[in-house]
Amino acid sequence: MPLFILPQTALEPFMERLRTVGELHGPLRGSDDAVRFSFLQTGDQPDLTAVRSLLPPKKYLLAPDETILTYRPAAGYQTPAHETGPLILLGVHPCDLAAIAYLDRQFLADPPDPTYAARRKRLILIGNSCTPDNNCSCHQRPSALSTNCDLFLYQQDNGFLISVETPHGERLCQSLGDLLLPAEDQQLPPSSRSNFGLPLPAPSANELDAHLPDWQRLADHCLGCGACSVCCPTCSCFEILEFGGLDGCSAERLRRWDNCLFKSHSEVAGGHSFQKDRAQRFRYRYRHKYRGYGQLQGVPSCVGCGRCRAQCPTGLDLRPLAEYLEKERP
Amino acid sequence: MSRPRLAIAGLTACSGCQLSLLNCEAELPLLLERIEFQFFPLACSPVRIEGCYDAALVEGCCSTAHEAELLRELRDHSRLLIALGTCAAWGGVATLRNDTPRKELRRQVYGRHPLPDDDVPRPLSAIVKVDAVVTGCPPEKHELLALLGDLLRGNLPVRGTAPVCTDCRMRENLCLLQERGMLCLGPLTLGGCAARCPSLGVPCEGCRGPAPEANVAEALELYCQNGFDAMTVTGRLRRFCPEWNHDQRA
Repeated sequence: MPLFILPQTALEPFMERLRTVGELHGPLRGSDDAVRFSFLQTGDQPDLTAVRSLLPPKKYLLAPDETILTYRPAAGYQTPAHETGPLILLGVHPCDLAAIAYLDRQFLADPPDPTYAARRKRLILIGNSCTPDNNCSCHQRPSALSTNCDLFLYQQDNGFLISVETPHGERLCQSLGDLLLPAEDQQLPPSSRSNFGLPLPAPSANELDAHLPDWQRLADHCLGCGACSVCCPTCSCFEILEFGGLDGCSAERLRRWDNCLFKSHSEVAGGHSFQKDRAQRFRYRYRHKYRGYGQLQGVPSCVGCGRCRAQCPTGLDLRPLAEYLEKERP
Repeated sequence: MSRPRLAIAGLTACSGCQLSLLNCEAELPLLLERIEFQFFPLACSPVRIEGCYDAALVEGCCSTAHEAELLRELRDHSRLLIALGTCAAWGGVATLRNDTPRKELRRQVYGRHPLPDDDVPRPLSAIVKVDAVVTGCPPEKHELLALLGDLLRGNLPVRGTAPVCTDCRMRENLCLLQERGMLCLGPLTLGGCAARCPSLGVPCEGCRGPAPEANVAEALELYCQNGFDAMTVTGRLRRFCPEWNHDQRA
């Protein structure tokens, strides 16, 4: 992959050039000191050294709450129109890139989800290396998920080493030509990205987890606030709600993020619940995160971003359990 | 589609829930076309309960014998009875109380001329069967309109279960409980309000009442660890709902 050097002083003109290609978004530190992926206006300084944003970039692919179908007598059934034109996400960490790779496998599989596919199509991803903190686990638990992106920025002294990863990235680089310096003799520096895209065996299907006191302990301390799945870059479970209009004939179908730790998540018609208590639901959540689920059985969906740990009001952490249950896997 | 006949009434409350419905100005013409508001004293006279209603929407808690009688009458005349707002659903501010005996309070307030009836204010479900609840102080406009849309189709509203925290995190707010050490009732309170208050930096007061799966015991421990004494926490909890099960974990 071709490599270039972007000096720190060229970051501002680099972003200005990106703005001519598409809508530029990146991690922005707010007045409350929290980092959020936001629209970057000219003059906005993205925080490219922030450890994590509150919400992951999945918010650009799956909105928390959105109309996915409407019915009007005159117009019939209609799906919402989607924004077009490139949207550039600058500064996406390897874990969040891996999460997008996971979501792609879920939502672009046959049949693709039209809303997701339309949004995914317009994304240009510019990755960014990072330094994991105590909540991160990519370095403890490597992942087979790839960190595909168009460009990747390796942070180094006085700037970035840019790796060009796709034809799209190459076109971007051509338009940036005068800002970049050649870096032919450079090697890729060590980074957290090397914890991803590894040829790992699928997790073992051991049954050590069938009866553990830990599930109840977790359940007892869980506030049921839902933060862990809202902030998880691979949690994509949703509920579907339908609302009838006041004219008596129009209607709207909504998709809204759901959480597998809620009782309602596993409830079906007639009031039956497949996961009656929170302890059972914790086991279910664990299995999804560390062993995969459904068509992605064997593909752990935890990318180690640490958001669930950082945002859990009672500090719940699934890592010690994973160490015990997944010890057969590196 | 036949026009459903509705009764809308208020007991002990501020009328805010009914006003929220009247504030749906853009939708009112359509509502009047589709729904028969047969009994709605706040909006129109004459006011007599007669015939049969498809649904009665009742705001407020029940605090007098007269109100209990009105409530039973509405129940008798209605196929469905819906608790409108937090007071009707949980008791609300009118049921706010400390542990001073009621008799003593009456003496303090009314002296030697106590009021004739002495009912403890209660939510509707303590008196009659309630078929559905639309909570909130007041309920959100979209919830009111969704309720009426459901009633038009002969359905009952689907009730969410996620707490305010879920709404709050979806809006990418910084957690006031965790990061600011505030006494925020978000984890215990039923969501659906798009976390209005925390989004403005104001901790959740719990105005929508308990979330069905609230882990009350754990939240109390957490508030205590954050330095809030039991009295402050209990006082805050009771503001909109007098009865909390402090041992509930799920």
